Amino acid sequence: MLVDEELLRRWALEDEEAREIRRRYANWEFIKNQPPRIRAALEYFIERGDRYVASKIAGVSLEEFDELRRKASIPVVI
Amino acid sequence: MIGVIDACFIIDWSRYRHRDLIKGLFDILYIHEEILAQLRSEISISFTSRLLAEGKLRLYPWTQSDEDEFLLLRSEIIANPRIPSLERPDLLCLIIARRANAILLSENIGIHRVIEFHPRYRNVKVWTALETLEHLVYRGLITLSSEEEFMRFVREYEQDTNHIFRKRRIETCLKRLRTWLRR
Amino acid sequence: MSQEIEDLVKKITPCKELLRKWILEDEEAREIRRRYANWEFIKNQPPKVRLALTYLIESGDLYKAAKIADLTIDELNELRIKAKIPNIT
Repeated sequence: MLVDEELLRRWALEDEEAREIRRRYANWEFIKNQPPRIRAALEYFIERGDRYVASKIAGVSLEEFDELRRKASIPVVI
Repeated sequence: MIGVIDACFIIDWSRYRHRDLIKGLFDILYIHEEILAQLRSEISISFTSRLLAEGKLRLYPWTQSDEDEFLLLRSEIIANPRIPSLERPDLLCLIIARRANAILLSENIGIHRVIEFHPRYRNVKVWTALETLEHLVYRGLITLSSEEEFMRFVREYEQDTNHIFRKRRIETCLKRLRTWLRR
Repeated sequence: MSQEIEDLVKKITPCKELLRKWILEDEEAREIRRRYANWEFIKNQPPKVRLALTYLIESGDLYKAAKIADLTIDELNELRIKAKIPNIT
């Protein structure tokens, strides 16, 4: 199943835009002070916006990760 | 080329000074979420999450059909006292490699042994870090012109990870490399 | 052993030669791990960790050793490195 080139380009731009927003709003001080797994998960989330994978990196439930995300001021960008 | 990484591979490879070279070797790498859960050290978590963030590494979408295969494979192996026992995470990666027609990256001797005799898994390719280094040469990601240069990379890996490759494995690898260097 | 299991075992059994090869390889690896290990470090560990590292030296099985110590394999691997026990493949 092939995806239209135009669609891929649009998605890439949207992803980059969302990544920029997450980076800008994130509380980096809070993130830096987290234990390694949590820090890695939050940084991953900023880059990719994927809460499920981020929660796996952190070793916590989706809800627990979402709590951390909020504390780190990282928005979900849709 | 698709790869599957298991825990014992990634926890060592993430300590290797040239770890980022692996990104050029595979189009995509899969990891099972249970393997991810095994990671605790800052160095392996940071390397793995960076690979995930860059899209090079992905969580494998494990299905019920995969789980059924795990139950079958496990019963085939544990029932036989002469086969070295394997844990669940070992077997998951083997199943993924077969399903995805991927190279399994594993330092687990048990896994290397399963493919020596199991009819369904005989065609699965399993690489240790040594074969991975070897293929980095073939892909042009490591440039060298002699076996001695290759062995320098191998010794660096062994040093960084406190790993020893068996003489036999090194000899077999060097034989292939020798042929390649002469081409 | 049930008939079903017996049939599975018969179908998937490594040959004697392979088993012999594995026994020799395991013995070789065990010797190397024993030789390189920092026994002083191992002796000074808490009981579970000491047992896990000793088991690792004898078997080379990182997963089971980790379970003995109640750690993940990554955590046990850090101890393995400190105890100078080489991983052998």
